[in-house]
Amino acid sequence: MSSPDHHPPRWADRFLEWYCKPELLEEIQGDAYELFYKRVERSDPKKAGRRFIWDVLRSFRLSTIKHLNFKLSPDMLKSNFKIAWRHLFKQKLFSAIKIGGFALGIAACLLIALFIRDELRYDQRYQEKDRIYRLLGVMNDEGDIMKGVHFPAPMAKALIEDYPEVETAGRFLSSELFGAGSREVRRAAEQQNTFESGFIFADQELLDILEIPIVQGDPKKALAQPNTVVISQSKAEKYFPNENPVGKELVLDNNGEEPLTVGGVMADFPKTSHIHPDFLMTMAGREFWPGEQNFWRANNYHTYVRLQPDANPEQLEENLMGILEKYVLPAQVAAGNVDAEKTLKKASFELQPIEDIHLYSENIHDRLTHGDIRFVWMFGGIAGFILLIACINFINLSTAKSANRAKEVGLRKVVGSYRSHLINQFLTESVLFSLLSFVIGLTLAWVLLPYFNQLAGKQLVIPTNEWWLLPLLLVAAVLIGLLAGLYPSLYLSGFQPIQVLKGKFSRSGKSSKMRNVLVVFQFTTSIILIIGTFVIYQQMNFILNKKLGFDKEQVVTLQGAGTLGDRTKALKEELLKLPSVENATLSDYLPVVGTKRNGNGFWKEGKTKEESPVYGQMWRVDHDYIETMGMKMVAGRDFSVAMPTDSQAVIINQTLARELGLEDPVGKRITNSGFVSEVIGVVEDFHFENMKNEIEGLCIAITDQPAAISVKLNTSDMGAAIDNLTATWDRFAPNQTIRYEFLDDSFALMYSDVKRMGQIFTSFAILAIIVACLGLFALSAFMAEQRSKEMSIRKVLGASVPNIFRMLTQGFLTLVLIALVIAVPLGWYLMKKWLQDYEYRIEIGWEVFAFAGTIALLIAVLTISYQAIRAATDNPIKALGQE
Amino acid sequence: MERIYLGEFEELVLLVVAVQQGEAYGVGVMEALEDEANRSVNISAVHAALRRLESKGFVKSEWSEATAERGGRRKRLFSITQEGSMALTQVRDVRVNLWRQIPGFSPNISFG
Repeated sequence: MSSPDHHPPRWADRFLEWYCKPELLEEIQGDAYELFYKRVERSDPKKAGRRFIWDVLRSFRLSTIKHLNFKLSPDMLKSNFKIAWRHLFKQKLFSAIKIGGFALGIAACLLIALFIRDELRYDQRYQEKDRIYRLLGVMNDEGDIMKGVHFPAPMAKALIEDYPEVETAGRFLSSELFGAGSREVRRAAEQQNTFESGFIFADQELLDILEIPIVQGDPKKALAQPNTVVISQSKAEKYFPNENPVGKELVLDNNGEEPLTVGGVMADFPKTSHIHPDFLMTMAGREFWPGEQNFWRANNYHTYVRLQPDANPEQLEENLMGILEKYVLPAQVAAGNVDAEKTLKKASFELQPIEDIHLYSENIHDRLTHGDIRFVWMFGGIAGFILLIACINFINLSTAKSANRAKEVGLRKVVGSYRSHLINQFLTESVLFSLLSFVIGLTLAWVLLPYFNQLAGKQLVIPTNEWWLLPLLLVAAVLIGLLAGLYPSLYLSGFQPIQVLKGKFSRSGKSSKMRNVLVVFQFTTSIILIIGTFVIYQQMNFILNKKLGFDKEQVVTLQGAGTLGDRTKALKEELLKLPSVENATLSDYLPVVGTKRNGNGFWKEGKTKEESPVYGQMWRVDHDYIETMGMKMVAGRDFSVAMPTDSQAVIINQTLARELGLEDPVGKRITNSGFVSEVIGVVEDFHFENMKNEIEGLCIAITDQPAAISVKLNTSDMGAAIDNLTATWDRFAPNQTIRYEFLDDSFALMYSDVKRMGQIFTSFAILAIIVACLGLFALSAFMAEQRSKEMSIRKVLGASVPNIFRMLTQGFLTLVLIALVIAVPLGWYLMKKWLQDYEYRIEIGWEVFAFAGTIALLIAVLTISYQAIRAATDNPIKALGQE
Repeated sequence: MERIYLGEFEELVLLVVAVQQGEAYGVGVMEALEDEANRSVNISAVHAALRRLESKGFVKSEWSEATAERGGRRKRLFSITQEGSMALTQVRDVRVNLWRQIPGFSPNISFG
């Protein structure tokens, strides 16, 4: 029975009535109602309602839906294409601008889509990727959150033993301090050393967790034995061509007494991996100092875990706090750290899914290079906006040209065309334009890809052998064509035949307002991009020219001197004898990113029990370091060879002095891991890290085992100086190629990402402006054409050329000014956000906006002028004489 | 002999229409399929099958009186045509014939 209290969902019912063929409606609707009432009686009404909706949706089939008026008949389609084709060639300039703008937009979108696809593919290859996590340590210091990835050596073991939900855990160690990073390599039987980077220490378990494919050797035991190494396939081919490397020996840094045995060959790490080591040296049986593997107070190891399939990672994160209580706290207390409990209260753990490492590691200090999800969004946004600008061109030009089509529309309607036919016709036209643009855009993208790769630092390729590429592009082309054509087709097909055939066609009104809004939008976007470009360049200049506290010019660093052992000092003496060499120093620690770093706690003497440590760097250098690097002493004195006690003394930077609370540091004594040293001098703060970070505390002491020599040159003939250096080097290390870097090059490399951002931004800003200008150019051409009679009459009546020029341009310039007003606060806000990443940054001044505004106006004026001047200087007879 | 195209589901639906001669309509057929053949299908599938059968000429339809349980809507009542029953017979014959040829199998297969 029908129950009048319950009704099927109204929208579903309406939807059914809307799509269903009238001759089928009664049957389908009747059955659906009958089922609904039956179900209401049997179960609850909500469920019956859902089933009703489902029935309605399932009944939506090709055989049940109404034949819409614009059924695509092949004949109509052919005719539509023919008309579209004719229009394309009738209006060559406009068609070229429509298609050209579109093609540019599409090319930009394609390139960015490739970029984004690549970014999103990082670390997606693991079979068990849902269970693989990187362990993060979080320090929450009153809202100031620091995330780190380095953990004590025994962490992994503790995880496996104490937490059943952890299936396995593995570590790697990438610190140069312990011999990871780069080394000199040779086969045991050979003499010639080759420089290689990409060394890390790793556990056997890591091979398993990261699912590293072992192509030669036993995957279960490749790193199980002490002093084994797993090398990548490309390195295997380099050192062991055509042989099986397993069991063969490699010598590192000329240390023939401790060769490494190749335990296996792994497939090269894919580019879309967050780490790309080539040499995995085993951690089995290795201890960097006695008791190191059970030492809980040094954080050096990246730690990864694979959880049991049913484990709950959030729960585990909480449970891991037990590690702090069980191991870390006792170790700290035993070492006499009174603040340990207070400090550890701020600590917690996080498990970062492995696929998030590349894009979501923004605040994590892991010394890996990775992407940033914000860039992905930003690029996606830019691509979208450029495409939108291109679409707007299409819309604007189509509606602007409507007067020319009005008569056609009127006549078609008079002879019996439905509005839907006309919509169909205009949509076909825009799809045709879109298809052509896609072909050109694709070609353009293909041509530009190598340059884009250079720009973005990627190796992207168009995935031509993927089956989905062509269908995807086709669907995209049709969709974009429909989207861009929607408004124009609705607008054009809406003309009243009587009105337009009588010639009473008004251009003003809704469509021109719409056009104005769209032009404002285009220019707002362009101006924001100009502002962005300008600010990025300013910041880059600021960084590259900032007073650094050291002199980076003409300093050459010779790497790999560690293989010389005791003879490094002799090499330094020899180098100093060269005429072009002003000074030389032995140290692995350099004021550029990518050289040796460490982390140490410092105290005022005797305060280790009472105060928390001040963290900073402990650098080992020789006597000539400060002079060679051109650093400045602000108090006390530099190290001196004449003072043998200096081997126990230190120099600190201003930051460390301030953080330790030393008002007059010279002569005071400070403690660092048990050693007490006297401060003999204070060096002015210098930037040794990226300017995204604040200058850290720094303590400098004398060493005798460096692996790098930095040489300060004083010459105008750099080539000869390098030749001399090489000759001297070859006398000392004939079996090792000289490897040198200029300090200013390394420094510039630090900021290559800023530079890259700047270049990418510039490219896309230029692109956006070109596309927007194309539109403006065509629009102004159209306006000039429309008003040619008016202008001619004005001219006949005495208007001057500047008068007419002004009349034709001021409308557009007002639009650009409005765009400027909108763009300035938006751009200011966005760039402020961007600058927050940098601890040392510029202030955004008014000149940025003045510059962006001037550029935008200038470009707009130049674009419009051509048409305006032509119209203003034309002979009035031409326009008026036509009728 | 002209070949007859009758899908497996269509055959079932046609059989139900034959059983319910003159009284078969969408919901009725759907319920019969559920009860007799233990097949639960969506009503739209039944409609589609009936439409196909009608276009092939195996069933014909007429409107019933208006009914209250359908919100005053009429039912479309289906009955099997001559061609429809011939198609059913033919399909059955083909099957029985094939069954008989299976070695070591009892030929006495009844179709209920």
